[in-house]
Amino acid sequence: MGVPAFFRWLSRKYASIVVHCLEEKSKECNGVRIPVDTSKPNPNEVEFDNLYLDMNGIIHPCTHPEDKAAPKNEDEMMVAIFEYIDRLFNIVRPRRVLYMAIDGVAPRAKMNQQRSRRFRASKEGAELTEEKDKIREEIIGRGGYLPPDEIKERFDSNCITPGTEFMDNLAQCLRYYVSERLSNDPGWTNITVILSDASVPGEGEHKIMDYIRRQRAQPHHDPNTHHCLCGADADLIMLGLATHEPNFTIIREEFKPNKPRPCALCNQMGHELKDCSGTAREKQGEHDQFADAMPGSEQEFIFIRLCVLREYLEKELTMASLPFPFDFERSVDDWVFMCFFVGNDFLPHLPSLEIREGAIDRLVGIYKDVVHKTGGYITHNGFVELERVELIMQAVGVAEDNIFKKRKDDDEGFKRRMKDKKKRMKAERPPAYMTGGQFAPQALGGRNRPDTVQNARHQAFDMRMQNNQAGGPSGAQDARGVKRKAEDSDSEPEPEDVVRLWEDGWKQRYYKTKFDVDSTDEDFKKKVVRSYVEGLCWVLRYYYQGCASWKWYFPFHYAPFASDFKDIKGMFSDFEKDTKPFKPLEQLMGVFPAASGNFLPETWRELMSSPDSAIIDFYPDDFAIDLNGKKYAWQGVALLPFVDERRLRAALGDVYPDLSTEEERRNSLGSDLLFVKKSHPLCDFIRELYLAESQEATQMPAELCHGIQGMLTLDADPILPDKPVESPIPSLRDIMTNSAIGVKFLDPQFEGDHVFKAIVLPKAKMPAKVLKPGDWEAGNRNSNRGNWRPQLGFNPNRQQAHLNQSAHRSLGHTMGRSHGGQYSNAPPPGNYQDKYRSQPYRGGSQPSYHQNREQSLLGAPPRMNQYPR
Amino acid sequence: MAATDVQEFIQQNRALADQVENHRGISETNKQWDARREFVLRNINEFEEAQIDQLLALSMVWANNVFMGCRYNNELLDKVNEMADGIVVEDAPVFKTREEIMKKVVRLKTSIFPTMHNMF
Repeated sequence: MGVPAFFRWLSRKYASIVVHCLEEKSKECNGVRIPVDTSKPNPNEVEFDNLYLDMNGIIHPCTHPEDKAAPKNEDEMMVAIFEYIDRLFNIVRPRRVLYMAIDGVAPRAKMNQQRSRRFRASKEGAELTEEKDKIREEIIGRGGYLPPDEIKERFDSNCITPGTEFMDNLAQCLRYYVSERLSNDPGWTNITVILSDASVPGEGEHKIMDYIRRQRAQPHHDPNTHHCLCGADADLIMLGLATHEPNFTIIREEFKPNKPRPCALCNQMGHELKDCSGTAREKQGEHDQFADAMPGSEQEFIFIRLCVLREYLEKELTMASLPFPFDFERSVDDWVFMCFFVGNDFLPHLPSLEIREGAIDRLVGIYKDVVHKTGGYITHNGFVELERVELIMQAVGVAEDNIFKKRKDDDEGFKRRMKDKKKRMKAERPPAYMTGGQFAPQALGGRNRPDTVQNARHQAFDMRMQNNQAGGPSGAQDARGVKRKAEDSDSEPEPEDVVRLWEDGWKQRYYKTKFDVDSTDEDFKKKVVRSYVEGLCWVLRYYYQGCASWKWYFPFHYAPFASDFKDIKGMFSDFEKDTKPFKPLEQLMGVFPAASGNFLPETWRELMSSPDSAIIDFYPDDFAIDLNGKKYAWQGVALLPFVDERRLRAALGDVYPDLSTEEERRNSLGSDLLFVKKSHPLCDFIRELYLAESQEATQMPAELCHGIQGMLTLDADPILPDKPVESPIPSLRDIMTNSAIGVKFLDPQFEGDHVFKAIVLPKAKMPAKVLKPGDWEAGNRNSNRGNWRPQLGFNPNRQQAHLNQSAHRSLGHTMGRSHGGQYSNAPPPGNYQDKYRSQPYRGGSQPSYHQNREQSLLGAPPRMNQYPR
Repeated sequence: MAATDVQEFIQQNRALADQVENHRGISETNKQWDARREFVLRNINEFEEAQIDQLLALSMVWANNVFMGCRYNNELLDKVNEMADGIVVEDAPVFKTREEIMKKVVRLKTSIFPTMHNMF
């Protein structure tokens, strides 16, 4: 599931979950920037306790942004990252914990997707460089001008993978950043900072979930903690729901589709690389200060309130007359499980389930039917009831045929409409239903009242004649001997679809084309289904309990059909126990193409290209892409071979001794770090540990830190108060008066067979309802229900804007007297909006806005009730 | 060696054949495994036991090329094709590699189209 696709569907269906963020901007006085004081109350009228940052969602846009010029060097990137975190801190203002999680080594199940991304990115990067060089030569040949900084090395985004030098530097820079803010920023005074860098295994978002899950399971946890999680991934929403914490909010950038990108060669907007002519830029702003920023381009953020989503789901999932007791929390878990079917990072999604076709609604419908027969919920604490899932799959299977046929019909219809639109735009004609001449549409309420129609029949005849002439442009052009080629080539050649799911026999063709087997090969089909079933269990367990197996992965590039899920109960029992993640450099060998080998030690790199290497097959130079019905290469399935773990480890065994000390350090598994300020109650406790030089892990006292628990161990090279901290970035100063203290931190540990419960904790208070109650009636002031008003933002008792007496007098003076109150009949007067003279809804010539305003308003006042609050 | 020859070989070298069977991949279909097994058995005499992984790697290079459309270094491909001499694969699948798809795109892009910008 693409992030935009799922989120678009979710925010359209459940619109009230989104709240725009209010961001207080820093002020400038005499040319000096005054930083915002984040210790003041949050302007969003809500106080958050914990802020969790999925750092990879920040690192990527800061190091290789899509909508602005790329930073020139690594130092600029780090500063960009710091500024971004500052922005988030300013908006959210956590009061207890700031948790920064960078992706560490991921489970094997995720590595295949990572591999696919990196192989593709590497090829795209090489192609872009080639094209840039070519165009650059052309421009210079023609005598054009290009900025000289193009000599810089292309930033290979593949270096954002655990184990590289870049990630090591980043960890160091973040340690500096944390110490600096703790020492100097008043908003950070009381918070605990936890930093989990790339040396700690696990994906960022799952490290965060692990932390929350484990805190919930210990007795001192505050069940009413208000969490705020930052990240763009759609599955953060699912993860948030899976915690069952009553106060959970997600913050993310507002996604604006189709934003323009700067040209890769000259960094200007408005044209593409192939059209670049490299002319000298005009200075924008007196000292060219606007050169880099597009006006109004800064990203806005939005909050997603999961408590509101829960309200929506309660309405949707509540079922009556069940043969077993209804438990809303269990239905939420089942809903989360069903969202996996339409897409997740670890399994290809079933061909019949597409978000934009309403797959989730379909699944929910089937679920509500089926659950009466199943005798219970389909999941429990992250464990799947396979028998019950089979019933759902069978129901989807029955619908598969129709789904494919309808998909084809919709596609055809869409293509037809697009073609018609293109034709129309080429001929620059308005759509056929637009009337012209004296029948043209006239805006209402203007001075120009439409005249009476004259000579209707004459006009209609003229219009018919016109249509006949304009119609059939190809015919006319042919007559004049213009080449037909231009029109033909407009229709891009359709990629051939061998499978044709909408035609009978689709199952056979699918298995033959995608898996290269006969659909009669039941054994093979069973293998695929078994792996998929394992996958579903693995993914659900990953969200609710943590990673069940670091080794498991889905070994095929395609999913089976829903109708193939037969007798799945016996297919799966449990995962291999005590599996371990790869080490960082091993993982690099598993996800990098040969072209990114420069991030690895030399003898390791050779294994990627030497013909005598025992793992040479892992690194093809080029690979097939199966467009799978899509149009562009990046949407297709990359057919890359899967890495054989045994052979990889065996081959690396030979070159392990070649690692330098530095490389060995980068290859080892690290630990989370915890930081607090000198003045924090926890600081003295930590200081005692350092003085005592204790080698063992010590339990954190619950009362010192809002009930947070964990084990503390000494850091070998610690950040200590009054010990200066060197700055790894030349443009930033060393911290001479450091007030921060750092120590290693480990989440509370539990027995191997411990099950984390997916329940709302006792003593948790559910937040007040926001949505309109189902039985609300407008205008019914007698019942309590009648008092409901829509809520904008977090505060139900938000202060409404109002005018005082002086303002009323000004308005009255401008507006003049009229019946029914001074301004109750009119929208804000023209004086308020002097700048906005355009009137988008009026056609034809316009009289001067100002003079006629009063007249028209007094002449025909609109009804009072029309302006909603 | 035709398919029957392969069967004979397996029968005569049970222990070896069983060993090789261990190296079958989870996702390999019967057809794919039969072909790759033949590759391995044909060339097994050239490799010592300690170097079996190299042979396996070469067999995968060949199989990936035939069944998944992967391209490798030309020398390497020549080598494995030589090693695979005599193996018959019926009905091999046809693929379009990424480079081929992109080249086609470039051809389209450089002709005159008012509407084809912002493709990626």
